[in-house]
Amino acid sequence: MTGSSDRPFPPGDRPFPPGDYPLIVVGSGPGGLQVSYFLTRLGIDHAHISADPGPGGMFRRFPIFQRLLSWTRPYAPYERTTRFYESYDWNSLLAEEPENRSLMPEIMDGVSEFPSRPEMERNLILFAEKTGTAVRYECRWTATRREGDRFVVETSDGEYRARHVIFAVGAAEPWKPSTPGIELVPHYAETGPAQEYAGKRIFIVGKMNSGFELAEGLLPWARQIVLCSPRDAKLSVVTRSLVGIRARYLQPYEDHVLGGGIYILAAAIERIERHADGWRVFTRSTLGGADLTLDVDVVIAATGFGSPLGDLAALGVATFNQGKLPVLTPFWESATMPGIYFAGTISQAMAGLKKHGVPSNSGAVQGARYNARVLAEHIARTHYAWQAPRPRVAAKEVVPYLLSEATRAPELWHQRSYLARVLSFDEQEGVRDEGIWPLAHFVDAPGGEAVAMTIEHTAEGEIRPAVYVRRGGKVEEHVMPGDPLLDFESAEYRKQLRSLLSGLKGMRA
Amino acid sequence: MNDSNRDIVDVLASLTLFGDLSRPQLEAVAHTFDEEWFSEGQRILRQGFTGTGFYVILEGEAAVRIDGVDRATLGKGDFFGEISILLGEPPVADIVALRPLRCLVLGGPDTEPFLNSYPRVMYRMLQAQARRLRNASQWRS
Amino acid sequence: MALSKQEKARLLAGVGLFSALGPRALGTIAGRATEVEFPAGRYIARQGEVGSGVFVIARGRARVVRGDEEITVFGPGDFFGELSVIDRAPRVASVVAAEPTLCLAIAAWDFLALLEENPKLMKAVLLEVVARLRATTEHIRH
Repeated sequence: MTGSSDRPFPPGDRPFPPGDYPLIVVGSGPGGLQVSYFLTRLGIDHAHISADPGPGGMFRRFPIFQRLLSWTRPYAPYERTTRFYESYDWNSLLAEEPENRSLMPEIMDGVSEFPSRPEMERNLILFAEKTGTAVRYECRWTATRREGDRFVVETSDGEYRARHVIFAVGAAEPWKPSTPGIELVPHYAETGPAQEYAGKRIFIVGKMNSGFELAEGLLPWARQIVLCSPRDAKLSVVTRSLVGIRARYLQPYEDHVLGGGIYILAAAIERIERHADGWRVFTRSTLGGADLTLDVDVVIAATGFGSPLGDLAALGVATFNQGKLPVLTPFWESATMPGIYFAGTISQAMAGLKKHGVPSNSGAVQGARYNARVLAEHIARTHYAWQAPRPRVAAKEVVPYLLSEATRAPELWHQRSYLARVLSFDEQEGVRDEGIWPLAHFVDAPGGEAVAMTIEHTAEGEIRPAVYVRRGGKVEEHVMPGDPLLDFESAEYRKQLRSLLSGLKGMRA
Repeated sequence: MNDSNRDIVDVLASLTLFGDLSRPQLEAVAHTFDEEWFSEGQRILRQGFTGTGFYVILEGEAAVRIDGVDRATLGKGDFFGEISILLGEPPVADIVALRPLRCLVLGGPDTEPFLNSYPRVMYRMLQAQARRLRNASQWRS
Repeated sequence: MALSKQEKARLLAGVGLFSALGPRALGTIAGRATEVEFPAGRYIARQGEVGSGVFVIARGRARVVRGDEEITVFGPGDFFGELSVIDRAPRVASVVAAEPTLCLAIAAWDFLALLEENPKLMKAVLLEVVARLRATTEHIRH
């Protein structure tokens, strides 16, 4: 296990002592830091607590083999710290002040477009320091209960009370299925340095990114590697999306295809038993082939993670996916326990429309950071009477603006068919920019005339602009064609969009 | 560690759609689909919206709603979304959760390959569609 | 007049349901299809009976009748019976030869075996059924 910065965060008075607050944020990974930053900018007082000794969340420990799956391009079509640069930087957190933006490229050493784990951790520490995001570290959330209209969050330091709580506790809790014997073998999270596996026959349970990351890291050391799960491996280069094993981890797949001592099995595991100095794994084929029994030296359960939801389920927060994630509304609020919200990677539990089966990037920093901003604004609007700016848009600017957003808005590009730029249309108010909203909310929300602009990722891997028009109480979808250079601002697009929007209030017909 | 994955496999085993599959195959199916929940009143399928998935109901109840009128009720074991995927045309009805709905979901592009891999499931689907058609149209034999 | 296997295969290839199949599959189906002649007025299939097979009209015409009502008329290339074979429910209408009619008949068990052996055929039947389902729903909306 490599070291992480276990040194305590700068000493001094620990902020946010136990007590009553309007709102509490739990967790100091990217999700907690990002949502807290925006809450502060919106003027919402909140306590921010974390069990960790410092910022970084999962990036204080993972990934095991030390390079991330999300990239940052130091040199891109747009200048660093500009809004449109965010499409090329999947790792920096968002900020309004230029000096706090695009911190990741400053830190990277140029070896790879994927930062190392220590670089990512440094990025988050720097963000917390520079933005002055205060957190009470080493304050562990232990239990939760309701008292009247307040939630009581019990911690190792005492009790906190608030009307609203945002849990940004990540999804780094090792999870194993109930396969007999799997409780005896280590999880991905416990993997040691690669040298420890020299000459071993290794059986990896699981064929997602964590399993392949291990296999790739152990290739120079293992005698033999088997990767096993009930279904076939999915490759991102085949799904043409981020779903499946990322290109970075494909070496074991190629070795398997070429016959290099790596075996990929589609089988269910019946049980795992100790055998001699190692393990015996009993598998049953899912494709109608022979049932195989394998003798190996090491078994590792790369079976994924869940969120450490503590006692929230007992409190009344409905969960799914074998208890790993909470059931959420389109604004990332518990569907069964209003007042409890979630930020960071847990926001993936709000799946959105998942058009063409393509999920959002809410599980990763590049998507979750936008969700955090939308969430902070939603809470401010709903509970603190915050008025969004809603600037007017001149009628003749509407079409160019929407098409520009379609072509380069990072919120839309990172969160396809999940977040949308919304404009409202009214006789008196004219056309107003309502900001970025969850598409899942827009398509079912009542209201006056409005338009939501999004980007869609189709089944064939094509990118297309998609417009949702609400008129007469109904929402209609219009998907526009794609473009090989991803330029949606040509005359043809302007003509199409003008026609779709014609007749809306505030637009000259 | 908990038993809800076995729970999903057990629920799948009890559904006609997957009734011909072996236990390992049911596990593979459980790994292939995602789980999604919908609150009462939430729309799952929307009339005219492209890119739908294939849904199988594990728990709860949903209505098939056309132009505001509920035409049918769907419950455990029922499925929807596949017609839009197979025909390449958007849904002609809304599907709305009447009670909290627990579903398994498969992305549109993955649905035909899935059916091709599991002809027994395709056959069960065909039987269900034939029954629906018989109930809907009264004259073709 | 007996049809050769090739002639049967060619006839089947013209039926929408089988058009996605290759020559080998068509040959297999042709091998399991029997010719049956129906004089005018003879029932090819009866309302209320559980479907015993799939019929393709090779020559002639047949009326589809429910009770006293004539629903439609089938001609060469039309087929019926597949729904009954699949869901084993009684037929909802009768099919009566309007003139001397030659059919290719595929027994229920042969048709089900064909479906199992030919995922493409099963897919074609599935698409046919869901297209008809969609048409009935459209009918409700308009």
